[in-house]
Amino acid sequence: MIVDKLEQSLRPPETAMPPYPPKYITLASGEKMVVHQAGREDVPRLLEAIRPLITVEKDFYDIVAARFYAELLGYQRYRVKDEYVLVGTIDGVIVGVVNGRMVDDKVGMSYHTVAIKRGLRIGAQLFAAKMEYHMDYLGQQEVLIVAESPIGYRRWMIEYELESRPSTWHELGGVPTHVLTKALWEKHKPMKCTGRRPVPEEMLEAAKKLILPSEYPQIPGFKR
Amino acid sequence: MRKVGIAGVGHTKFGRAEVSLVDMLALAALEALDDAGIKTTEGHGVDQVFVASMGAGLLNRQSSVASALVDTLNLQPAMAETVENGPASGASAVKLGYMAIASGMCDVVLVVGGELMRVVTGWEATDFVATMLHPDAEYAYGLTLPAFAGMFTRLYMDKYGVTEKDLARVAVKNHEHAMHNPVAHIQLVPSFHAIIEDEDAHVINPYVAEPLRVYDVCPVSDGAAALVLCAMELADRFPKRPVRIAGIGQATDTHVVAERDVPTDLLAVRLAAQRAFAMAGLRPEDIDVAELHDAFTILEIAISEEAGLFPRGEGHLAARRGETRVGGRIPINTSGGLKAKGHPLGATGVSQIVELVRQLRGEAGGRQVEGARHGLAVNFGGFGNNVVTTIVSREE
Amino acid sequence: MEPKMYAYRCRACGRLFHPARAVCRECGGREFDEVPLEGEGTLLTFTRVYALPEGYMKPWLGFGIVEFPNGVRVSGQMNTEDLAIGTRVRATVGMVKEGVGRDYYGFIFEKSPQA
Repeated sequence: MIVDKLEQSLRPPETAMPPYPPKYITLASGEKMVVHQAGREDVPRLLEAIRPLITVEKDFYDIVAARFYAELLGYQRYRVKDEYVLVGTIDGVIVGVVNGRMVDDKVGMSYHTVAIKRGLRIGAQLFAAKMEYHMDYLGQQEVLIVAESPIGYRRWMIEYELESRPSTWHELGGVPTHVLTKALWEKHKPMKCTGRRPVPEEMLEAAKKLILPSEYPQIPGFKR
Repeated sequence: MRKVGIAGVGHTKFGRAEVSLVDMLALAALEALDDAGIKTTEGHGVDQVFVASMGAGLLNRQSSVASALVDTLNLQPAMAETVENGPASGASAVKLGYMAIASGMCDVVLVVGGELMRVVTGWEATDFVATMLHPDAEYAYGLTLPAFAGMFTRLYMDKYGVTEKDLARVAVKNHEHAMHNPVAHIQLVPSFHAIIEDEDAHVINPYVAEPLRVYDVCPVSDGAAALVLCAMELADRFPKRPVRIAGIGQATDTHVVAERDVPTDLLAVRLAAQRAFAMAGLRPEDIDVAELHDAFTILEIAISEEAGLFPRGEGHLAARRGETRVGGRIPINTSGGLKAKGHPLGATGVSQIVELVRQLRGEAGGRQVEGARHGLAVNFGGFGNNVVTTIVSREE
Repeated sequence: MEPKMYAYRCRACGRLFHPARAVCRECGGREFDEVPLEGEGTLLTFTRVYALPEGYMKPWLGFGIVEFPNGVRVSGQMNTEDLAIGTRVRATVGMVKEGVGRDYYGFIFEKSPQA
């Protein structure tokens, strides 16, 4: 398909990014969560998965879900440079998503973390996987991070001891920026990041199905 | 003194409540009143209402909750008081209800315990609970209940050989019990392998207060539980044969944990249990089912020893042998315990007795202890500085 | 002035307490003298807490219970790693919590140089 010239001029240049190699983590329930990178073709399903949370005010799900929704569209329709999306699934069912982008070869920009299933530290695992991608696979020196909820602040800023750098503006609107440096990553990685590779083929095939969740603990009585 | 029984029980689903504190208390109360066949119209016969809540003032900015509850339940002109005794508020309120009837002052008393905790974040809740510690010698340091439980666990491991696996075993057992309790907060059984043996365990079940991990600590829950107490001589008024309150014991210990002579002893638990057994004329070996205050897994083990169910230092061995699960010799925390059913502070002591009544009535479904006749509850306040023990018995 | 921590000696029987109390646990005495509580002690138990309460912007804090040679036992923060039951520790006094309008001082123990 030939993309017309005007559209072509609207799109950012793309940098070749090494893909995130899928991994799986054993959760407290004994279930295995697979974390793998989603492609543009997966975006419609991810939009469906996130949409119900746009109206959940509790714990700032609304802001995070609405922004994630827009960022997914930006990725799918070539309006954000070098964005990526990682998705967590259990038996193929979407349980959480994270995203961000590569600013340049040294600096990463963390966007959002959404845990759909709760109580199994899924958000923490997916955030760690995102940092792992920036640091260990994209080979970056630092990742710029902001928190939009108290839970996020607690989990990232305090637990990873992120460096405060308010002089650098984050793309999510100038909220005070915090930075994960390579040194902080190496310090906290052993207790924060886990998982095994390669993912058995059957497990990975199931993960790629990206089945929509049938329930949302944030929305009692949810019906799709 | 008159004999006192329990004629009705009520219990909300623990977890996250979508209603106000008083509405939540009312839900549990109405279930208990219905269970006892009491109509909330003129001539209802409820003489006194006790409400147990530790945090209504601090968490919900509401005082005189008992007065509010009496009004919404249409129980005027019943007497009403709110009871605050930390996490042991619930059993304290039951004790006061007992005293009101035993003394002859009342015939029927409604006891409701409840807490709406999830209005704050987990770390605000941790801070709130820590306000019961000594303000200068403990609280100001950032010490919390998990911190004391962690330090206690380390001593217990050192002295008695308790391992992290023993603790995980208690957690998994209580989560399994909770799967049969529809009002339990957590409806999920952690995998023993995943939380303690798997190579991912250190990340998915991290330390909260070493050597305690996430799965050793109870969740923060909303919830309420209620009992209708009555004079046993009025038993015929009620649709179900009341379960008798056979014994109550309470004891205190040093406020400052560091000042205890033997740091692995929970003296107040031992004394409270001895008093309750003496009053009931029973011995630990008579107990068929127990609800013990497992805010931390180590506490189930330590309390089971102090209450006399197992020799000192052997509670974890009994758990290893499966004696404390449903089907075992002395099932503990059949409700799921604080660990899995949840721990809405003021509700807990009442909730423990609701579970025992259901067990003694044979209404416990998939977690039923066959033929249970005597039940024991231990409700633990502070880090063991104010403990209430209750024994209930089924009368034929 | 350097902040100090104190034990409280019963004027009647001489028994030491920390913190201050209204009535002596030993003899019922009601008057006490301040005695500086400092120096080295033995670590009885300890923990590292990761789920800190509201107000602490740190990933974790260490706590311990320490027995001084005079028999007084206190809780405090631990400013050191690599601890074991029985480790010799030295008491320092420092700010244990930053408060609004008032900071809180208390025991912060470190490993004894001889340990």
